Amino acid sequence: MVRDLRAHRGRLAMTLAAIVLGVAFVVSTWVMSDSTARGVGDTDLRSDVDVVVRSPERGAVLAPADLDRLAELPGVTDADGVLAGRAALVGADGKLVPGPHDRAGTGWDDTGRFALTEGHAPGGPDEVAVHTDTGLSTGDTARVVLGDGREVRATVVGTFTFRTLGLERAPTLAWDADTALALFGRYDRIELTGHDIDVPAEDGWRVDTGAALNDEVRADAEASARSTKESLLAFAAVALLVGGFVIANTFTMLVTQRVRQFALLRAVGATRRQVRRAVLGEAAVLGIAGATIGTALGVGLGLGAVALSQDDATFAVSPLAILAGYAVGVGVTVVAAYGSARRAAAVAPVAALRTDALVPPRRRIRVGLGIALLLAGTAMVAATAGADLDTTSRVVGLAGGVVAWLGVLVLAPELAGVLRPVVRVLGRFGGPAVRLGGRNAVRDPRRTAATSSALLVGLALVCAFATLGETMVSMFGSTVRATVPESTTVLRSASGDEPLATDVLDRVRDTPGVTEAAADRYGFVEVTHAGVTSGTTVSAIEPDAFGTVLNQEVTVGTGDLDAGFVVGSNQAAMLGVGLGDEVTLDFGEETVTRPIVGLHTTTEAQPLFYLDVAAAPEWYRERVTSVYATGPDPAAARAALDAAFADRPDVRVFDREGLIEADMGEFEAVLAVMYAMFGAAVVIAVFGVVNTLALSVLERRREVGVLRAVGASRRLVRRTVRLESLVICGWGGIAGIMVGVLFGAIMQHVMLGRPLFDITVPYQVIGVSLAGMVGVGVLAAVWPARRAAHTDVLSAIASE
Amino acid sequence: MCGTPRPATLIAVTTTTSPAASAVGLTKVYGSGDSRVAALDDVTVDFAAGRFTAIMGPSGSGKSTLMHCVAGLDEPTSGRVWLGDVELSALADDDLTALRRDRVGFVFQAFNLLPTLTAWENITLPLDLAGKRTDQRLADTIVRAVGLGDRLHHRPSQLSGGQQQRVACARAMVTGPDVVFADEPTGALDSRASADLLGLLRRGVDELGQTVVMVTHEPAAAAYADRVLFLADGRLVDALDAPTADRVLDRMKSLERVS
Ligand SMILES: Nc1ncnc2c1ncn2[C@@H]1O[C@H](COP(=O)(O)OP(=O)(O)O)[C@@H](O)[C@H]1O
Ligand SMILES: [Mg+2]
Repeated sequence: MVRDLRAHRGRLAMTLAAIVLGVAFVVSTWVMSDSTARGVGDTDLRSDVDVVVRSPERGAVLAPADLDRLAELPGVTDADGVLAGRAALVGADGKLVPGPHDRAGTGWDDTGRFALTEGHAPGGPDEVAVHTDTGLSTGDTARVVLGDGREVRATVVGTFTFRTLGLERAPTLAWDADTALALFGRYDRIELTGHDIDVPAEDGWRVDTGAALNDEVRADAEASARSTKESLLAFAAVALLVGGFVIANTFTMLVTQRVRQFALLRAVGATRRQVRRAVLGEAAVLGIAGATIGTALGVGLGLGAVALSQDDATFAVSPLAILAGYAVGVGVTVVAAYGSARRAAAVAPVAALRTDALVPPRRRIRVGLGIALLLAGTAMVAATAGADLDTTSRVVGLAGGVVAWLGVLVLAPELAGVLRPVVRVLGRFGGPAVRLGGRNAVRDPRRTAATSSALLVGLALVCAFATLGETMVSMFGSTVRATVPESTTVLRSASGDEPLATDVLDRVRDTPGVTEAAADRYGFVEVTHAGVTSGTTVSAIEPDAFGTVLNQEVTVGTGDLDAGFVVGSNQAAMLGVGLGDEVTLDFGEETVTRPIVGLHTTTEAQPLFYLDVAAAPEWYRERVTSVYATGPDPAAARAALDAAFADRPDVRVFDREGLIEADMGEFEAVLAVMYAMFGAAVVIAVFGVVNTLALSVLERRREVGVLRAVGASRRLVRRTVRLESLVICGWGGIAGIMVGVLFGAIMQHVMLGRPLFDITVPYQVIGVSLAGMVGVGVLAAVWPARRAAHTDVLSAIASE
Repeated sequence: MCGTPRPATLIAVTTTTSPAASAVGLTKVYGSGDSRVAALDDVTVDFAAGRFTAIMGPSGSGKSTLMHCVAGLDEPTSGRVWLGDVELSALADDDLTALRRDRVGFVFQAFNLLPTLTAWENITLPLDLAGKRTDQRLADTIVRAVGLGDRLHHRPSQLSGGQQQRVACARAMVTGPDVVFADEPTGALDSRASADLLGLLRRGVDELGQTVVMVTHEPAAAAYADRVLFLADGRLVDALDAPTADRVLDRMKSLERVS
């Protein structure tokens, strides 16, 4: 049997490629995440700090007096106050240095945190040192906007690299200690060194050993590497699933070609089990070969990616990664070949004597199962098609989508029957190439379906996420349009999701021409009702924002924030609460418990809870994430705001459409990455198409010979194969797009709580997919078509 | 076709005196050194237009090779071949393809038809490939002669072996080619189906003025021809006009005795 494999070498190459790609995806993911986790663990953390005292998460501060008191404690040999404050660094070109602003400013000290790379330490209010990553160098003038909006200027006198302690980000710039203390007025943490230090519990101080903080870093790195790995492995699983289709299809074809051989084996006394084992043995050999190449490729790719992405890369190839590669490669191949092995074993010995020997079909079970799955899935989706879903029905709805999708895959060979009339019509109007190629494609609908199933899965995923994404984009857009009047000007921090400097709201209010202004303090909190806690989003706003700078339609109850929360109706349904029920929001140290006074029909792009800012914890009130403003002449107000913040690169001023655009840009980048990941699956599917075509061409050598003898040019033979390829790819593409858009509709329904068919069809992605399928069809046919066109007429006719 | 008057245009073809196909000094060598086989050794032959020629000879004597070379399916090692007034050795693949399509018809021993096309589509395939419209009268005549009746729109897998060969025969004649080549067309048929097929070829010659060259090893089949050529070891060794099965058999026996 292994000898058989060698005889089919050419045909197996594509299958091997499918296994290799899938395995390489898994292994490289593994290697990358292991190396990243190890890399973080190996970074140069400061290990010379014994105890760290930090102020509570929010609220109270560590003052210089606290530093003095801690320095006096028995056993303390050294106490250093580490300063940190919001600082937005503006480069010489007037542009913001990219990166977060929070805690970006600090004070110089000799704790060993800083390592000068150039110049000297800052020594007075007019000097700063900057991190090497900022791109500034000594002699430059640094312009810095502080947390309260104040601007300071200083000359860069040195650049540094930074050693971290615990989970902290390296600061961007450092003044000398006195200047920094004057600027920030408080310590972020106090570091103690010494022996047997016992810090009294006080004012909610958080006291940790330095070692514990560093352990946290490693744990965090591992956790994040693990979660990256898990999400990448999900994509790898899709690639493997698609690879499985390719493998299964190849084995079906190989078994079909060798029916007589199996029959002969059975006739001379081989048991069914022996035949089955022989086929599975082939699969195992192929799987091991694929896994070996794939693992090697995966290790190479993973290490390459690590080397590219990290300066001080730490390579880690765990035995587990290699084991996973083999398990996945061999497992998927053997499982995919199992059906074929069973069918090979079911060949009757008498088939050896018949010319029309066929592999016994298993059609009826398949059709029954497919219809059952499709109906069950549709029923599950239909049952949960209503609005305001709770968590269970969301899960049921999504599962229904998956089940129906499986049903479509199982039924695909029967569904491919619809191609027959299409091909018939095509053949009537097209030339001989269309007729021959089209009919060849539907000659064996099972094979066409199996080949295009791989494409179907890959494309359907792309289209499902495109539908979800496009729907989200238009939902974000329409939500913003519904809640932010055209006349409102919006201000946000230039550093992404961070809060604005604290002076912005007042400055907006003081801007001439602005008569209405309100601020939004948006964040993630935990909500508790009847003992059940879950995550949610909250927006603390001034109650008079509604109707002036913001619109928020309240469908049930009132929008009276003075009296309680206004909550999204989806969210209320998920929590199982209604008007008048009290719920508790947990802001960390403080909680806010109020009744629900109104419900708004939201999309989940909006805050789920609206809260009166007066009822929010004091520290939260200062975390202004957006400012909304308008005036009697909105255009004049906007122009005035533009002018007022022209010298503030840390603040961005938007009109409504600009805001939508800025939000969507990031989101679409995320989608693009997702498409690329599913792209791997599509590539594997293409190998499957090439494989099927090559086998078809090989099987039809004699036909091609006759065709050529009768006067078909090479070009026509090539076109025939290309057409067959186009039909296969077109079918996979159209079916994939339809399944994908429907599944996308279900996803957006259960994830965003919107009506089932209120979707935005991603025409752009569909167009690209269709064009891509045509391209793939043409490309996949190149090699098989060449082989077919160069068939030697005489030997093809002589062979039987 | 029985009883149909001959179309005037076709009579002209039968009266042409120049051969429909000819070869001069045709040699075909396979392999080299020890494994060198001369399948054809300096063969010079004319196939008269409007006549039915049979080629006979022992297995391996070069019958198929001769046919393939004259039909433009294979390239001779040396020598020259003409189809009508076209010399084949001068042609590139595309021109050869067009020539096969327009001026040559083929019938092989078996598996002549494309399984995805119906009988009718198989018959008209060469016209289809050339992008020509079917000459309805010629097609009707041929179809009636093939005698498929309502099976005309069935796939080959639903036809008997004899029916399939007759469809192949009709396809070979539908373009009105210079020559129809048939390589043991009855090789896989029983005697009844063989007789039908040979009758069809014969009527093509008699009634449509077609030129037919047929390779066979059955004396009874050769008896349908106007002239029989005998090949042995790649050489033309004998010829027989107005053959009967008995005379062919006698001649073959005597040839075997000689060699
Ligand atoms: N492709 C080939 N390669 C090598 N030898 C060949 C090839 N085709 C035919 N021959 C040899 O040429 C000779 C004539 O073959 P062929 O024309 O097929 O004979 P026939 O049709 O009379 O049986 C035989 O000896 C055969 O073995
Ligand atoms: Mg022969």
